[in-house]
Amino acid sequence: MANDVKKMRKDDYNCEECVIVPPADIYETVDEYVIRADMPGTRRENLDITLEKNQLDIYGRLEDELTSEENLKYGEYRLYNYHRTFVVGDGIDREKINATLENGVLTLTLPKSEKLKPRKIEIKVEA
Amino acid sequence: MYTTYDVFDDVVQLRDLVGRFFTEAPAVRRNVEYPYVNLRENNDEVMITALLPGVKADTLNIQLVDNSLVLEGEKKSDVQDKPYIRKERVFGRFQKAVRLPYRVDGEKIEAGLKDGILTIKLAKAEEARPKKIEIR
Repeated sequence: MANDVKKMRKDDYNCEECVIVPPADIYETVDEYVIRADMPGTRRENLDITLEKNQLDIYGRLEDELTSEENLKYGEYRLYNYHRTFVVGDGIDREKINATLENGVLTLTLPKSEKLKPRKIEIKVEA
Repeated sequence: MYTTYDVFDDVVQLRDLVGRFFTEAPAVRRNVEYPYVNLRENNDEVMITALLPGVKADTLNIQLVDNSLVLEGEKKSDVQDKPYIRKERVFGRFQKAVRLPYRVDGEKIEAGLKDGILTIKLAKAEEARPKKIEIR
């Protein structure tokens, strides 16, 4: 029984499919929505961002040296690959999504589509 | 060979089970001070890594005080007071002392910040390195 538990725990915590859901902030400006996510250790070339239908999928793979626990004497964190999915509405311009990665922080800017931006309505002067 | 059933064997196993539950907690634990650190060690050096996404190198202040390494800095807000839809990240000043398991050579400390992970390499002091003892 103890062995079963041990095996189960190994699957739970040392599995390759384990992922971290990175904490994210989302805020809105007049022209765009911005998503910022903390993903320490992720490099640009190992980050996949896909938009399929209305699902924005972020997947960041980590190098083995970051996830290995060789020579570890004291640990407060354990890293896995990052994965998070956001559902986006129709009001964004899908062609102009921009992503930057700096100091382990991913910034995604999703511009609002033209028809959703606030507009000033001209009052026609009656002749 | 005879083995007798001993009820304490089961008790000890249970204790291991409970112990493992607390020591092998997954991923990031919330009951430790920010930032989270890992400490690695080999024969000649001690390596400390800390998760500091979004912290710039010029706001960091690292000091070796006695046999503790003090990490001090600030994670500045990059969203300020814009209207939030979701807010999960935390910002602010932090200070944390990490106690080193060995005496280190204060002259040989290397620190690097890359992809939001701070890595500090400290060379062990000469007397803390393992020595091979010859048998005459």
